[in-house]
Amino acid sequence: MPLEFKPKTQELDSSFFTIFPGLCKGCGLCIEKCPKKCIVWSNTLGVYGTPSVEADDDCIGCGICQNICPDCAINIEKKVKH
Amino acid sequence: MGNSSVQPVMPRSWRVDTKPHKFCPGCGHPLILKCLGQAIDELGIQDRVVFGCDIGCSLLSWDFFDLDTVQTHHGRTTPVMTGIKRARPGLICIAYMGDGGGYSIGVQHLVSAAARGEKITAVLANNTQYAMTGGQMAPTTLPGQKTETTPYGRDPETTGFPLPGQDMVSSVAGEGAYVARGSIANPRQLKSFLKKALENQMSEKGFSFIEALSACPTNWRTNASETWDFVERKMPAYFKAGEIKVPAGGQGEVQKDG
Repeated sequence: MPLEFKPKTQELDSSFFTIFPGLCKGCGLCIEKCPKKCIVWSNTLGVYGTPSVEADDDCIGCGICQNICPDCAINIEKKVKH
Repeated sequence: MGNSSVQPVMPRSWRVDTKPHKFCPGCGHPLILKCLGQAIDELGIQDRVVFGCDIGCSLLSWDFFDLDTVQTHHGRTTPVMTGIKRARPGLICIAYMGDGGGYSIGVQHLVSAAARGEKITAVLANNTQYAMTGGQMAPTTLPGQKTETTPYGRDPETTGFPLPGQDMVSSVAGEGAYVARGSIANPRQLKSFLKKALENQMSEKGFSFIEALSACPTNWRTNASETWDFVERKMPAYFKAGEIKVPAGGQGEVQKDG
């Protein structure tokens, strides 16, 4: 039986940035790894009551934060340019 | 496309119902296990992998995977997996341990298994100290690093230099052994090493051993930027990433960087 996690999606200029507050533990590894430094702490609390993260429009949808997240709490979907 | 049906991208071999997992925020173990899960997915061997975890922080992986998992005595993961492999040669056995289990209490088992050329895969997470008991000095602690038992920094005069465990294993391992060291700072490389190690076992060449440089922000008392600095710059000064020993015939099928 697959478990559902509640997503919180932001639509940005070049990507859809989804954070799952039920998985995010607020370690901040993604903030440091982001090449555009566009991830910041948000007011939405994560699973341990620590701040989760959100991105701004500088995001290029590279997906490094998704790969580096130890908790798989980030999902990046890059917008396809037409 | 940005709707409520979006779900986390986890390896298929992970157990979704045990997430969020039990590791601390910023821990390196889940990153190693993510690479391991992706490697298992890509090889399509989920139904015949047996995963053995050690005591220490690595035991928190006992319900991490949707695999047959056994949690063993401290340092004895390698012999337990050896026994399973000898009884059921068709299974693929992964012994997962920390540097406390692999390089101190279980070092004799690791080295003996390598010397005998057991056809299992050992994965060791190196976070330079004993994390579960509160951060005491381990054989892998870097000189000058402060831990609970070395409050003024590790002094190589009295406690020696970090143990070169990879050299130890590769020097006794036979022809078909695969020995490599990856890092959580480079997950693609780590995944390709893990995949090659599993392929080495599947082709019955010999022992395969992967050490992964890991992080412990809780006991290092570091924030995210200091954690990355420690993993990416301080640890590689003593623990060089790369393949230390590859089987004579080579493997060929897997690309170098994923």
